[in-house]
Amino acid sequence: MKKIVYLIVLSLSLLNAKAFNAPMQIYMNELSAEAKAQNPNFTGFDATRGEKLFVSKHTGKKGSEMSCTSCHTNNLKNSGQNVNTNKPITALAPSANPTRLTDVAEVQKWLRRNFNDVFVREGTALEKGDVLTYIINQ
Amino acid sequence: MKKIFLMTALGLTFAFAGNVAPVNNALYQKECASCHFGYQPALLSKTSWEKVMGNLSDHFGTDASLGKAEHDQILAYLVSNAGSGKIAANNNSMRITESPKFIKEHREVPARLITQKEVGSLSNCSACHILADQGNYSERAIKIPNYGRWE
Repeated sequence: MKKIVYLIVLSLSLLNAKAFNAPMQIYMNELSAEAKAQNPNFTGFDATRGEKLFVSKHTGKKGSEMSCTSCHTNNLKNSGQNVNTNKPITALAPSANPTRLTDVAEVQKWLRRNFNDVFVREGTALEKGDVLTYIINQ
Repeated sequence: MKKIFLMTALGLTFAFAGNVAPVNNALYQKECASCHFGYQPALLSKTSWEKVMGNLSDHFGTDASLGKAEHDQILAYLVSNAGSGKIAANNNSMRITESPKFIKEHREVPARLITQKEVGSLSNCSACHILADQGNYSERAIKIPNYGRWE
């Protein structure tokens, strides 16, 4: 009986693997409204655009070439490494690391920091929404 | 009585033999040690920590900015546990590696052992100090990658 319950919970969580939790969905809706306000033609976030952004190379805050992949690697199911300190970074893909994209404050903090480090500016609502859509689908 | 005296002496010896109080603040551990080794507060002076915390949006070239509540709590923790021992003496810079005591202790380490990929830089304490997390920097607890014990 216990096994069946576990199986149901497991399959439910697998079904929901690509969905944001409630607080994150509220945040995504806010980003969506902001993107729409900035561009009336906005129709929704796009994982492909998010991926392009994620792998794009820029002269980062330190003056050297940077990309999100510099620390997170090209495969988000794998762990990465902080390019400045060599400290390991746990996998970004929610399928490999279920704690990812669950805490809105953490997500906002890292988007702020990492956009500044790689793009030397804040991300727009469209960029943030696209990148988060890309990550949650990994 | 003799025992207490001995223990005190032993304690003092440790205080000067590379031991500092381990990190005991969960917020500091979470926010700071997610990117780099969790340097113990005693490794820098109060002035140094105030400087570090004063410009987190440009933290050694990266954005490490925090919300105000987190910033204030971490600053309070660092300042109230800041170093007063030899390791923090004569260093009000933001870098532990600029402490005269630190420089003296590391002067004999060959550059190739520091730049190798397993270490990267002198700021990666735990690469060689195997008990660095516990605040133990004693010579007996050093093992340099691709070299071995340092005694």
